[in-house]
Amino acid sequence: MLDAHFTKRRRDFTVSFSLKLGPGESLGLFGASGVGKSTVLACIAGIEDPDDGYIDLGDVHFFPPPLPLHRRSIGYLTQEPSLFPHLSVRDNITFGLSKIEQADPERAEWIATLKNRLKLAPLWNAPASRISGGQARRVGLARMLARRPPLVLLDEPFVGLDRQLVRELIDDLVFWSRNIGFSMIAVDHRADVLTRLCPQMAVVLEQGQVIQRGSWADLCSAPATPLLQSLLAPL
Amino acid sequence: MARAGAALLALALLYPLSALFARIGAWQWSAQVREPALASVRVSLVLTAIAMVIVVVLGTPMAAYIARCGAKERLVWQAALLVPILLPPLALGILFTLAFGPFGGIGRLLQHYGVAMTNNAPAFVATQVYVAMGYYVLGAVAALDAVPSMLQKQAALLGLTPTRVFFRVTLPLARLGLAVALSIAWVRAVGEFGAVVVTAYYPSGMPVQLWVDLQSYGLPAVMPLLVIFLAVALPLPWLAHVLAQRRSHA
Repeated sequence: MLDAHFTKRRRDFTVSFSLKLGPGESLGLFGASGVGKSTVLACIAGIEDPDDGYIDLGDVHFFPPPLPLHRRSIGYLTQEPSLFPHLSVRDNITFGLSKIEQADPERAEWIATLKNRLKLAPLWNAPASRISGGQARRVGLARMLARRPPLVLLDEPFVGLDRQLVRELIDDLVFWSRNIGFSMIAVDHRADVLTRLCPQMAVVLEQGQVIQRGSWADLCSAPATPLLQSLLAPL
Repeated sequence: MARAGAALLALALLYPLSALFARIGAWQWSAQVREPALASVRVSLVLTAIAMVIVVVLGTPMAAYIARCGAKERLVWQAALLVPILLPPLALGILFTLAFGPFGGIGRLLQHYGVAMTNNAPAFVATQVYVAMGYYVLGAVAALDAVPSMLQKQAALLGLTPTRVFFRVTLPLARLGLAVALSIAWVRAVGEFGAVVVTAYYPSGMPVQLWVDLQSYGLPAVMPLLVIFLAVALPLPWLAHVLAQRRSHA
């Protein structure tokens, strides 16, 4: 269970956020660009420290005090997949796994599943610096999931990808979320991406404040603000 | 037009190298010149290599620390590192001799234990460390800064401790920049004359020996050692810079 309640001052406004998210649940964090969605994820991931409040994942206290990143056991994927350019695709995906973990048959099978499902076999030994943007997103996704994190944070990881690839990646994520049971918080400014990825629950931010939370049906039928209504409207 | 101007300036900068082919008569390489010259090559190579090991071992952790500092603290460290860089070499040599001689606190302590810091190998190495450290650390900070912090954070989120992140991500990605920093430090140290001539006239390294030969025998006796000096000092740093430039444009 992720239990978070924190604030983070930004130059133009303060982000206030609270959330309880059970194992296997998913949440879409929705809103216009620059309203603090990424700040929320960065605080939970530990990339930024909140100014006050608390963040717990099960029995593990993320904040306060800030828990070092390497003890957090979470997956965090952003628009830039941040692959290690000096390593191969394979070494990126197994990065952080000990030799014992890599030799574990169950883990090896899981990595083989990721490799096949995300169509990474042709790239497996290629340097990460030589693959395309779309391929890099798939590698980033595989790397994040290789450790089977209990919580996955997605910060607009599908921006700039073609719709077919986005659909495939979302379907894979939803499939694995159900099978592995990880919780997921996804940020996007496109409602169609989030409704497919996190169909259960949405939280809407405006100027750092939560202005509405509930099901996507609730949001569509009674949007809290005109801005939200316009964001939800089809083009 | 601009290209022609750049070419002209580049040629002007390379022009002094043409003096290697100047008609100054037969180069002198008699035993009288050769033996001290070769001894100075050995001194320079061995002692500068020791100095570089010290510079890397002490300077890299410092650079890693500074690269993580906030802007204000970083300014303090950079200001301190600039002092030995900006000090005129001769002034540095004199200050060094005084500070590590009988007039300085550390110098008195060293003398108490029978360690003299003048005209010996430790004085030579220590002077080179002082001369080169600032160049290496500032260059290394720039190299470490160039590694995207998000890669390091991502590595940490994948379970690596800060030490392992440094060795598996930061260091490999910064290695060429670190090599450039080291090459600058090497050139600066191996070519140091002003400070070394005061602190460690003996054992004579190549710059001091070149000066002695120039004073004692004239230009023909200097040229062979000068060629060796250039061959030792230039190619490695030049290659490191060219590779770094190639990578940054790749």
